[in-house]
Formats: sequence, C-alpha cells, structure tokens
Amino acid sequence: MDRALVVWVGAALALVFLMAMPLAWLTVMSVSSEAGTTLGHYRYVFTDPALAKSLWNTVVLAFWVGLVSIAIGAPLAWLTARTDVPGQGLIRGLVLASFVTPPFLGAFAWEMLAGPNAGLLNKVWRGVTGSDHPLVNIYTMPGLIFVVAIYTFPYVYIMIANTLALIASDLEDAASILGAGRLTVARTITLPMVLPAIVSGFILSVLQALALFGSPAILALPAGFHTITTQVWSFFHFPPKIEAAAAISMPLLGATAVLLWLQKRLLGRRGYAAVGGKGGTRRRIALGAWRVPALLACLAVMACAIFLPYGILAKAAFSRAWAQPVGWDNLTLANFTFTFFEYGATRAAIVNTLELGVITASVGAVLVAVLAYVTNRRLVVGHQIVAFLAFAPVVIPGIVLAVALFIAYTRPPFVLYGTLAILFIAYLTKEMPVGYGQSDATFRGIPPDLEDAGRILGAGRLRVLRDITAPLAKSGIIAAWCFIFIGVIRELSASIILFTPNTKVMSVVIFDLKEEGQFGAIAVLGLVMLALTFVTVAIVQRALGRDVLGARE
Amino acid sequence: MSAVRLKGLTLRYGGVDVAAVDNLSLEIGDGELLALLGPSGCGKTTTLRLVAGFLDPEAGEIWVGDRCLSAPGNVVPPERRRMAMIFQSYALWPHLTVAQNVGYGLRFKRDLARADREKRIAEMLRVVQLAGYEARYPGELSGGQQQRVAVARALVVEPEILLLDEPLSNLDANLREEMRFEIRRLHEAFGITTLYVTHDQAEAMVISDRIAVLQAGRVAQVGTPDALFERPRTRFVAEFIGKTNVVDGVAAAPDVVEHGGVRLTVAGARFTPGAGVALSVRPHQIDLVEPPGAPAPNVFAATVRRSSFLGDSLDYEVTITGSDLVLRVVGPATRRLAPGQVVGLRIDPSACVPLDGA
Amino acid sequence: MPTSPLRLAAFALAVVVALAVAVPVPAQDARVEAARKEGKVVWYTSLVLPSAERVAKLFETAYPGIKVEVHRTGSERILQRVMQELQANIRNADVIHTSDAGHFVLLKGKNLLMKHAPAGVDPFPAGFKDKDGYYYGLRATLNVIAYNTKAVVAAEAPKSWKELLDPKWKGKLVTAHPGYSGVIATHVLALSHLHGWDYFKQLAQNRVMIKQSAADPSVVVASGERVVAVNGGEYTAYKAKKKGNPIEIVYPREGVPLVVSPTAITAFAPHPNAAKLFTDFTFTRDVQQFLADSEGLYTGHPDVKYPADKPKLSDLKLLTVDPEELEKRNEEIKKKFVEAFGA
Repeated sequence: MDRALVVWVGAALALVFLMAMPLAWLTVMSVSSEAGTTLGHYRYVFTDPALAKSLWNTVVLAFWVGLVSIAIGAPLAWLTARTDVPGQGLIRGLVLASFVTPPFLGAFAWEMLAGPNAGLLNKVWRGVTGSDHPLVNIYTMPGLIFVVAIYTFPYVYIMIANTLALIASDLEDAASILGAGRLTVARTITLPMVLPAIVSGFILSVLQALALFGSPAILALPAGFHTITTQVWSFFHFPPKIEAAAAISMPLLGATAVLLWLQKRLLGRRGYAAVGGKGGTRRRIALGAWRVPALLACLAVMACAIFLPYGILAKAAFSRAWAQPVGWDNLTLANFTFTFFEYGATRAAIVNTLELGVITASVGAVLVAVLAYVTNRRLVVGHQIVAFLAFAPVVIPGIVLAVALFIAYTRPPFVLYGTLAILFIAYLTKEMPVGYGQSDATFRGIPPDLEDAGRILGAGRLRVLRDITAPLAKSGIIAAWCFIFIGVIRELSASIILFTPNTKVMSVVIFDLKEEGQFGAIAVLGLVMLALTFVTVAIVQRALGRDVLGARE
Repeated sequence: MSAVRLKGLTLRYGGVDVAAVDNLSLEIGDGELLALLGPSGCGKTTTLRLVAGFLDPEAGEIWVGDRCLSAPGNVVPPERRRMAMIFQSYALWPHLTVAQNVGYGLRFKRDLARADREKRIAEMLRVVQLAGYEARYPGELSGGQQQRVAVARALVVEPEILLLDEPLSNLDANLREEMRFEIRRLHEAFGITTLYVTHDQAEAMVISDRIAVLQAGRVAQVGTPDALFERPRTRFVAEFIGKTNVVDGVAAAPDVVEHGGVRLTVAGARFTPGAGVALSVRPHQIDLVEPPGAPAPNVFAATVRRSSFLGDSLDYEVTITGSDLVLRVVGPATRRLAPGQVVGLRIDPSACVPLDGA
Repeated sequence: MPTSPLRLAAFALAVVVALAVAVPVPAQDARVEAARKEGKVVWYTSLVLPSAERVAKLFETAYPGIKVEVHRTGSERILQRVMQELQANIRNADVIHTSDAGHFVLLKGKNLLMKHAPAGVDPFPAGFKDKDGYYYGLRATLNVIAYNTKAVVAAEAPKSWKELLDPKWKGKLVTAHPGYSGVIATHVLALSHLHGWDYFKQLAQNRVMIKQSAADPSVVVASGERVVAVNGGEYTAYKAKKKGNPIEIVYPREGVPLVVSPTAITAFAPHPNAAKLFTDFTFTRDVQQFLADSEGLYTGHPDVKYPADKPKLSDLKLLTVDPEELEKRNEEIKKKFVEAFGA
C-alpha cells in the first residue's frame, strides 16, 4: 500500500495544481463581483448582442469546419485506404504535414494568398480573367472555415482511414455474393461500419475549431467579427474584464465536454488515438481511368494545405515586399538578419520555446510513462481513476485553461504569472492526454510476462524496469516526447493569455509581429517553427518505425 | 531438499466472492514433476503464479524444503525464490539476442565468472539444439526454436524449482507431441522439482510423475497418471481424464449397482444397499463379445446405435437391451459392427470404479 | 525593413553620438557607472519595432555594457501588460513609452511614475511636457490618410476625412484599432470631436478592413490589399513611401490629429539609473534628430531639422486632444469603435 500512497498523493497534487484549482477559480470568478456572488456576467455574456454574436459565430464556424473536414477527409481516406490511387505514400505524407502545421501559420499564409486585392491567387485571377472582383476573399466566414478545415481534416482522415483499413473485404464480398450491387454494398455495409468514425472525426474537427484562437484572430478580426476565443482574449485588454472572460469560457468548456462524451460513446472503448485489431484481407478497388484524376484531386487539396501556404511563406521570408513579384531586386536576406540579429525578442523567444518544449516534453514523457505503467500494470488501487484523470484535460480548450491558470496563479499563494512555470503548467496539462494515449498504447504492447520472466530469474522490480521494460518502451516514450514537443512549440491559444514580455514564446512573437504587419519576420519565424516540427516528426517516424497517423498500409 | 509444500493457499480476485484458489494444499516431492491439470478457470495458473510470487496469497503458506517463501506478512519476492519459469507466451525479450536471453538469469549469480557464464550458455544452447543461434533475435526464430530458447533460459540458472505455464499450447500438434517427450527427457536429465500447468490431460499424462486435478480452486485428486485414470475418485476427475461412461444407479447389494434393470457387479465394493452410486466405466474396458445366450453377471446384450471409424479403433455408441443405458465402447479396427447390429458386452467387475459424490 | 543606406547612416550617427556623449561629460561618469552596474534597461515601447530596435542599438553603442531590452507592442497592449504584471507583483518595466497620453495620466494617478525631467526638455513646447514633471513627449506623429498611387490617381484621392464616407470606397479601406494602438485611440477621440461618433458608424458602412497597429494600414495599402488607409501613423506611411512603395500621404484639410507620445520612468523601475540615462539619451538632440531623419517623426526639440518633403507642423491645422480626456474616455472610445466596426 505504501507505493499506492505515493502515486495517489502525487496524482492528487498534480490534479489540484493542473486542473482542479484553476477550474475552481474560473468558476468562482465567473460568478463574483465586488458586491458578492452574481450571475450578472453570464447574463451579460448571453444577452449582449455583440457577445451573443460571437457565440453564434463560433457555432457556425465549428459546425461548418466539421462538415468541410469530412468532405475533404473522407474521400481522401477512402482513396488511400481502399483504392489503387497512385502516390499513396506522398498523399499520406502530405496529410501528416497538414496535421502538424500550426493552423495560425496557415491562416497567415492564406492572408497573403487570398486577400481580396493583394492576395496572390486573386492577382493571378484578375490577370487571367481581367475581372474586377476577387476570386476569393479570405476575410470572411467561409474563408475562415476553409482555412481552419484544411488543417483539421486530418482528424477525419485518421479516424476513417484506420477504420477502413480494418474492414475486411470479406464483409463486403459477403454482401456482394448475396446479390448486392456495388453502391448497395457501399450504402448498406461499408458506410454503416465507417459511420462512427465519420461522426467522431466530425466531432474532433468541431472541437479543434471551437478551441482555435490564432486563425480567427488573423482572419475574423480584420473582417469585423469575433469568435469566443478572440472574445476571451479581448476581455484581457485594458481595462480587463476577467470575470466576463471566465463566464464566456464556460459554454466553451461545457460544449467540449459534451462533444467528447458523445464521441467516446460512439467509439466505445476504442479511444481516439488509433483503432486496433486485425482484419482479414483487404482488396483495393481499381480506379482505372480515374487513377490520375483522383491523384490530382488529392494534390489539389494538398496544394491548399501545404504547397501554396509554404510557398508563400518562403517567398515572404526572402522578399523585401511580399506582395511584389519575385525578382532579384525583391530578393533579400534582410528578414533573416532582422529576425535573428536585430530583433532582440526573437532569440529570447526561440530559447524560451525550446526550453519549454524540452522541459515539458521531458517531464511530460516521464510523467505519462509512469502513469501509463502504473495503470497498465494495475499497481495501485483505483488505477482506472488515474487513467481517467490523465485523459481529463482533453476537455479544457487551451484558452479556457489559460484563463483559469491566469486567475489561479496571479494571486497568492501561488504567483506564477510572469514565469515560464505557468506556461509549463499550461502546456503540460494540455499535452497530457496526447502523451498519455501514446504511452498507454506503448505499455499495452509490452506483455507483463516479459517482466515476470525477468523477476523469476532473479531481477528485482527496478532491475526489470531498467533491463526489460525501459528498452522495450523506449521508442514509444520517445514518440510521446515528440508529440508533446510538437504540441508545445506550436501552442498559441493558452500562451497568448499567459505570456509576459520576458516569457514570450515563438507563437506569441509571431502573433505580435502579425499585429504590427511585419510579414517578413513572421515568415522567417514560421519557417523555423515548421523546420523544428518536421525534424521532430522525422524522429517519431524513426522511433516508431511507422507512420505517425497510425493507419496501416 | 526442494520439496514444495502448499498449505491452505487462498486468493480471491478483486472483491469476487468466489476464490480463484480456495484453501489449496499440495505437496510436490523433491525432483518430482507434478502437473496441475484442469479446465480454464480452475485456478491452476493462479496457483502457479502464487508459487512464483507474482501474486500474494490472502491466506496459506508456501514452503520449499525448510524455507518459507510465503506466509501472511512475510512474502519472498519472485527474484529471491530461486525458481525459473517457462511462460505460455515464452516471454522472450525481443530486444535481446538468444544468448542474452538465455544468459539473463546468470547475471544475478555473482559467484559465476564471466567465462563460466558463457560456457554455460553455450552448453545449454547445445542441449536444446540451438548452437549457432546465439546472435539471433527471438523474432527471427520459429515457434519451436523460441520455445527451446525459453526452456534454455529457465534451465541454465539451475533453479531449485521449475514452473511451466502451458508451454506447449502455442505449438502445432506434431511439434507439441515431440516437445512433450523432450520436456520429459530434460526433466529426467536435470531432475528439477517441477510444477507444470496444463489443461491438456494427454500432455499431463505423458509428462508427469503425478497429476493434481484442480476444480474450482481446489484439488480434486492427486495421483500418478495411472492411478487417476484407473481409480478416479470423482465424476469430475473421471470425465476430465480420458473418456468414460458414468453410470448412475442404486446399490442393490454391497457389491451390485442397478440402473434400470441393468445390474453391475463392482469388484471389492461395500455399498449400503439402497444408496445412490455412480460408477465410471472406461469405454476400452468394455469387451465386445457374442450376444449372450443366457443371462450372466456383467454380460449384456446391446444394440449398436452409431459407429465412428477412428483409424486405429472404432468408437461405438450402444444401447443395452431392455434399458435406457447408453454406453460408449471402443472396439478393434479389425472387426466392424454396423448400426442396428446386436452385440454382447462384458464388463469386468474391476473395470467398474465407484465415484464420490453421486 | 532597413535598407543599407539607412543602416549606414544609423551606424555613422551612432558613432557620432557615441563620441559626443562619451568624451566631454565627466559629470555624468557616476551616473553611467551606476547604470552600468544595473546592466540593462527594460523599455516597453510602442515605437514600431525596427525603429525601436535602432534606438536601442544607438544607446548600446553609446553606452557599452548597458543593454536595452525592447518589448514592443501596441500602446494599449503595453498598458494591459503593465497592469497585469503589477497585479501579479511583477516589476519589470523601467521605461514606458506609448502613444496614448491618457495612459500617463492614469499611471501618474496611481503613483506608478517616477518624476524625472530629461536633460534639455525646457525649450520643448507645452504639449510635450507634463505640468507635474512625470512624463515628456519623446516624439510626435500625425494621423493621416494614405492611398495606393497605383490604384488611385492623386485627383481622385480623398482630401478630407469626410470624403472617406463616399460609398465608392466600399471594400477598399483599412483602419487600425484603438484597442491596440494609442495613435489610433487619439485619432478616434480627435475625429469624434470634429465629426461626432456618427462619422465612424458611417465609415463602417464601407466595410473597412480592421488591422491592429497604426503601422499596419500603410503596409496593407502598400501591398495593394486595400486602396486607402483611413488612419495610421504618418511616420510609417512616410517611411514606406521613402522606400519606394506606391503610397502617398494626404493631410486632411479639416485638421490632422497630432499624437504626442510620452515617455516616463516607472516608480518601481528595477534599473532606475539606466532608465534615467536612457531617457535622457533619447531626448538628446542627436537622437531626436535621428527620429526625425530616419524614422520620419516629429519631435518637441526646437533644434531638430525636418526633411524638406515633410510639411511643417505650423503649416497644418492640428487637432490635439487633452490627455486627461483621453484617459477618462479610454474605455468608451474602444467600445464605440467595436460597436461601429464589429471587432
């Protein structure tokens, strides 16, 4: 029982610091005023026309992002999982790239691509057609939906591709042999089996859209509308209305919890990371003449998510003026010089980001490894509760977590605001579910027999941990480390509330530069962030020896 | 001395009322190979894991010779029990080579010089016919080879006690049969006190010195394979070990059991007349004879209802004339009876084994 | 982005300044020594980033061993930062410089400013000096209209604030935000005096793109994303024009809001000596002249000469606002703006 006590006290303390105390403060703040307890903030949030509008905007955005994500992700998943479309490895690689691209960088790039007048695409359109009107205007709700969806559809893709890969062709053949036509098979067998994956991909995309701050801040604010997240952020402007920020956080928190609960029920116990199990043989459908058009369609989607945005970022990084044509007189390295050598905040921010990334990933990887080990080996009474708690932070959107942490840690007894510690807590909490999911799968893959075999031959518990468990879990834990690291270096929605000038991170610097219109420097920092991300992804792929997205070939 | 004594072991899993192991007592002699036999859920694996020390009993004691390994409040951890175990999954470490797997247990033998260690690994690999495979990883071996690595890893440490948990269940039928003899041979060569868990009675009978049949966490019967087969004490044991006919009847005399007009004389029995009695009669101990002309003790006329050709023998289902008693009978392949044919059955009184708990 | 001639000039100037400051002033030695012990000065500034970094470099060249830590963001964000930090008991800022004079009224009222008159500010005009001596105008800029010369010919360009209400500009305008920029907060108050709040409601009918920094509208116009900037700091538009961007500045005839951006040392400055040294440095004629030359700003320094292609302040009808009023109506300005424009 002694070891149970240590784990329990540890878990309980961590829970209090990471979640319970901040959320309690959030709740208290949302009903407090100088005159005592009040529901006035809620009344204000729900009745003020501008705020009600922002709530509605968020609903519209999230719903459509979910639908568009399905429209993109489902066909793509089907093509790569069940047909002989060429270039599958390439497509999967690009989906992965879209998955790890920080959405706010995408939004920023799309400003340069599809601003109604200076946007590159619109300029080309005008040049080609002679039209007066832009092809697309990214500063609109549909524009925002599009830019968010091209980075959230991988959630749908992963869910569906993994499910399709598990449905044996036998099941479909069984229906065909009974006389069902191809469409009937798709409608009556394949679709119902994939439906939970589709719905749960929809929910995951909706959750992403609900919690996103960067893209709406970049695209919605110039167009004159708010979402909940940008509204929360603007409540922090002077004079601050923290109580209102707390109150408007509540519907976001509630919606997330309900949606996740729904998704969990849909998927049963399969969790959201990857669907396990074995199926029979799977046959690929021959597309025939449609092979090349199908590939082109996939690449068109990827052009939106990857090629065009990355291209324009690279152009902006090396240009004096991003909107001017590429040419020798527009080519410069000054943006790099400025970003790295003249702008003092950059280096500090890169150092802070890397420091936070490494520390959070290291502490987090060890923590989730211990938690996953304890829960998988059932070392303590109530291990199921520990597992639940490790997953719990997934219901807290980043910006809500930040508001809660801000309230909790700007006052005694724990004044952490202004230190990297508060960002560390935010990141650790936010990334815990992802890391835990990865570690859990790792330990689930190591049969307890392997440890018992060591024990009985004379090795103590710790020795077995060192000689057997650790080497076997190593690659899985490295992967968890990388997942956390990637999550941390791109984090914006919590950082934007919690940073101080001395604790700026890269995403915040990018956002700061954005507000000032420093395109060149943003592009440079964005490229740095992408490079860091892709190096880390490469490490994961090596460690796991497989695709990060989890779907099998 | 490495005789093992289990005294009143009890363990319940997480608040369940039914004990997985229920007041179980058992002795395994020094150098003996004892099989724990039973259907799944009978507590045999739990018992093995209690002996290994992976589980702590709620009550009871485990002794090896004069060493107490487990008593309430004093439990020796697995690594200090001087045992070795072969797992159903083999539990080979995929990140270690064959030589490293086999040599792992020797790392904890401080007095063993490095050179001696290598020598013992090589010797053991030779014994299990895996010389030359030292640098392979388990993933690169066939199932049978993996199994031999598991055996080598367990034996190389010269354990006082060897525990085997259904080690053959992952092998295909031919290999399984071969490995039974192999294990027996190794046991005879090394003479290690061995506890062997299996649900396969044929396997248990080939390998073991004695078998303990477990039922619902308790020992139903312990004995040599012969004794268990010839003199099963309970219906459960009789039915679990080999095929049998159980005849439920009433004692008509101290040595006679009657079932629906069929009277069976039982050798050496002392029944209370009128009491309910169950008898076990093995199919191969029923002789097929010519239909009797006149009534004789333990000889009956019967009709063949079904016959199945098994290659080296025939399996018949027969109904005794003038009775509802249906018996299974094994006949020689040289003479085939067709369904509907009338035959005679002779059952030796010594082939009728009374069972407890009728 | 800095072009090389500008950087050369800056470097040359830095050398001159360094010589000027370092050689003839033994009386300052004790102060410099004290500042050097502190090692750095933390500057919360709303001066656009490249300009702020250049001023910092000038100081670091003049006083080796004292670093300037530049934290640049919009005026309103600076106030938000300072107040949030104080709430959490963080004392980080030494020198605060924003374009919202109201901030300094507020900070002074809360006793958060240190009284310090930079050397040589006596001859500055009254609008650059706090009567109690807590804050002084470091620089000034105008709020102007800017348009893209490729998209609009000079004759068609708007000449007045009112002309921006013409529906022909629908979808072609860009504004910065008073919730971010002090320059714009000042501008909004000045124009509300001139034309009333209805002016902004009508302006919003033209579906104005909303950016944050007062520096950004000229960037947007230069890129061609929008045709006309309905406000924005004149100095950023001027610099964009000097760099060869297709942009022209209009000084509206109804009046041009003048934004004086004060600077002050905080009462809680962790590096008070470095803060004083830095503040004094920024008010020297050389630095003030540098702000005028390379950054296109106006200053209160009577000896500063301005580029010939910039209008003289005395030739313009200037609109000024009272810092006290700006402070009092800060929240109202932002709220009314958001009501009109939506975000």
